[in-house]
Amino acid sequence: MLTMATPSTSTSTSSQNQTNNTPTIDTEPSPSVSSDSETHDKSKDDGDGKKDESIFECNICLDTAKDAVVSLCGHLFCWPCLHQWLETRPTRQLCPVCKAAISKEKVVPLYGRGSTNQQDPRTKVPPRPAGQRIEPEPQPGFQGFGFGDSSFSMSFGIGAFPFGFFTHTFINDGRVPSPSGTAQFEDEQILSKLFLWVAIMFIAWLLFA
Amino acid sequence: MGFSKFKVEINYVLILVWRRLQKELMSLIKEPPPGVQVDTESVGQNLTQWKINIAGVAGTLYEGENFQLLFKFNNKYPFDSPEVTFVGPNIPVHPHVYSNGHICLSILTEDWTPALSVQSVCLSICSMLSSCREKKRPPDNTLYVKTCNKNPKKTKWWYHGFVTHSCDDE
Repeated sequence: MLTMATPSTSTSTSSQNQTNNTPTIDTEPSPSVSSDSETHDKSKDDGDGKKDESIFECNICLDTAKDAVVSLCGHLFCWPCLHQWLETRPTRQLCPVCKAAISKEKVVPLYGRGSTNQQDPRTKVPPRPAGQRIEPEPQPGFQGFGFGDSSFSMSFGIGAFPFGFFTHTFINDGRVPSPSGTAQFEDEQILSKLFLWVAIMFIAWLLFA
Repeated sequence: MGFSKFKVEINYVLILVWRRLQKELMSLIKEPPPGVQVDTESVGQNLTQWKINIAGVAGTLYEGENFQLLFKFNNKYPFDSPEVTFVGPNIPVHPHVYSNGHICLSILTEDWTPALSVQSVCLSICSMLSSCREKKRPPDNTLYVKTCNKNPKKTKWWYHGFVTHSCDDE
């Protein structure tokens, strides 16, 4: 029971804590928690836990929202519940709580920590609208490891073969060299040495064979 | 769609209906709004038909009177509204309540939303009764009671018009 009450206390006061480190009693939504943590008894914790849980209950099935979505007007639903409601009156799609106009495109899925995040929500029926994710601006400098995103390239062709090899290997085709000290830089160093040795071996083989 | 899947969906829907009705019943028994009381005996027999006793609010025309509402839920609840009628010996005399118990209230048909509940319907009906200024039957009561369907949800209600089943006071 205590484990249920503890997080509920912290969530209810967290907004106050950020601005003011002394949560006051009158701003507490539930007086049972605010008074004194030592006076907790089971029934009080129960009541508080329920009150706190009901905040996250779907407005349609009254259970804790599964595959939760929130409308732009801020009302929480299970996606299957809301989907069924939208299907019930396709021509008049209104928020069940406040009757604001809503639609499938205008609901936001909520992804809790470690909940359904691992599972692709689109595999479920009915598919929940996906969250819209915008990539942040790429950070300059570090580019990542491996071949996947570095500009490693290979080419085959006919030409003045060994020289082509040289030009390709030793002339840095217009790319900005990576700053020394980064993993990218070391990678490139290793690669260029490797190719240098391959080229030398190849020429040696051509000469002596 | 295969038959088995269809069957599974039906069962799933019935479980959802049942769960929601259970939850509503629990909260209505635990924290009933003033003047509203569930007839637990009727609910115990059949979870899809509830009888609810309503007391006229003090200081209104219905003070001291007791009424009984019958809620019938189908398997589309809460996406479809419950069928709500006054039953029993005392049907309130009110311009929006027909003598057969049918109620002209928009949230019972087209303005229903699944976020409404038995409790909110009861409160709406209480407030509808409380705001009444003159006890009288709807003007078309006799004709309507003779011709209407048993199910009030089959009636085409006109909530703002002046036609046959209008509930406007004018």
